Amino acid sequence: MVLNRTLPLVTVLLIAAGLTWMACPRAGADEPKPKPENTISIQLGEPVPLQKFEHPPKFWIADVTDRSGNPQPMMVMKERGGLFLDKQPTVTVKQAIEQSLKGANLLAADQESADLVLRVYLFHFGLAAGSGLDFFGKVEFSTMVKNIKTGESQEVKAVGTSITKGAVRKKSMQKNVEVDIEEALHDAMRNFLRGTQLKEAVEALSKGAGVTPAPALAAGNRLRSKNLRSGAAGEQIQEEL
Amino acid sequence: MRILLVAVVVAIFAVDASAKPKEETPRFKTAEAKHFTTAEGVELSPTFVDYFYAELRAELTKAKLVNEVIGEGEAVEDADAPKSLVISGTITEYKKGNVVKSALIGFGAGFKSLSMDADVVRRSDKQNLCVLHVHVKVDPRWNEKVMAKGAAHQMVKEMKKALAEGTKPA
Repeated sequence: MVLNRTLPLVTVLLIAAGLTWMACPRAGADEPKPKPENTISIQLGEPVPLQKFEHPPKFWIADVTDRSGNPQPMMVMKERGGLFLDKQPTVTVKQAIEQSLKGANLLAADQESADLVLRVYLFHFGLAAGSGLDFFGKVEFSTMVKNIKTGESQEVKAVGTSITKGAVRKKSMQKNVEVDIEEALHDAMRNFLRGTQLKEAVEALSKGAGVTPAPALAAGNRLRSKNLRSGAAGEQIQEEL
Repeated sequence: MRILLVAVVVAIFAVDASAKPKEETPRFKTAEAKHFTTAEGVELSPTFVDYFYAELRAELTKAKLVNEVIGEGEAVEDADAPKSLVISGTITEYKKGNVVKSALIGFGAGFKSLSMDADVVRRSDKQNLCVLHVHVKVDPRWNEKVMAKGAAHQMVKEMKKALAEGTKPA
């Protein structure tokens, strides 16, 4: 009687345990792991030549923050055993900007000696949804350019895209994805460093730091000192201004 | 006889080589493709415009219409501005298509369709060099990005043709 009641319970428990045992290793196998054979290294290659500034400032990159919302930023692709980056995208982007700034001799030695400080927010790095016939690489970020002397800042957006052909063989696929992301990174760097947005930001922030406040301050002082002497003189200076 | 045969073969090769079109150097130095805007009522995914922008740049590079394809908002030297193009446009219409209609009727019925207008202007004086109207149709089961690929290809083809016609003396 007791055996009759416990037998179905034991059977259910055994089936449940068996299913759990079967499911656990499968879940582990589905999640690809980074290995040397499925890891790629993204590098900028040739530094991007910078545009010409009227008064070339010295830049300093304070930090690069990942704002992609991707829980696995180093995983480029989940299919076909996965494809991983060898370092964090934020590190790659920082190195790429530094390399280009250093090439143009516009990288400051430290934050104190810099004219403009850059804070980069990375929105996308890697592959984006494409047609399925090819690989669509995309690098998108936004940079806050800040003049530490005045505290003023401006936003500069940059995006880089690249399309390379798809591949059947795993080796070719890895190579194509690597080339694709490198091209997208180079394109984004070019878009940022040679863009009109950066030029306008540098001009506006340098104006705020050096040119505009100085005469205004001097005139203000003159106005104040003359106002002390006579009201009429003050009015004259105001007209001059 | 043998000499005559050799002479004929050499003549055929010579004619063939001269018939091949010579690689022309592009007339324009740079081209800047801008992200296309979408007209009201066009229901495309937000990534479509990004993908089309990338495809258009890739097609422009492939077509060798210009020396260099630059990104949106990149600075161009003042000296290069007269030889620089700016391509902007609007996606005016998008029809989702109908799989059932396509399967039952065929002959292009129920296909996805996309219409877009583009302007190609010279950077220096903003002179409109050509206006393009592109209309593409694809199977409704296909990804919309495939449609972007086709549209970009057709747009560059038409642009090449229009610019070539524009250079011909009247």
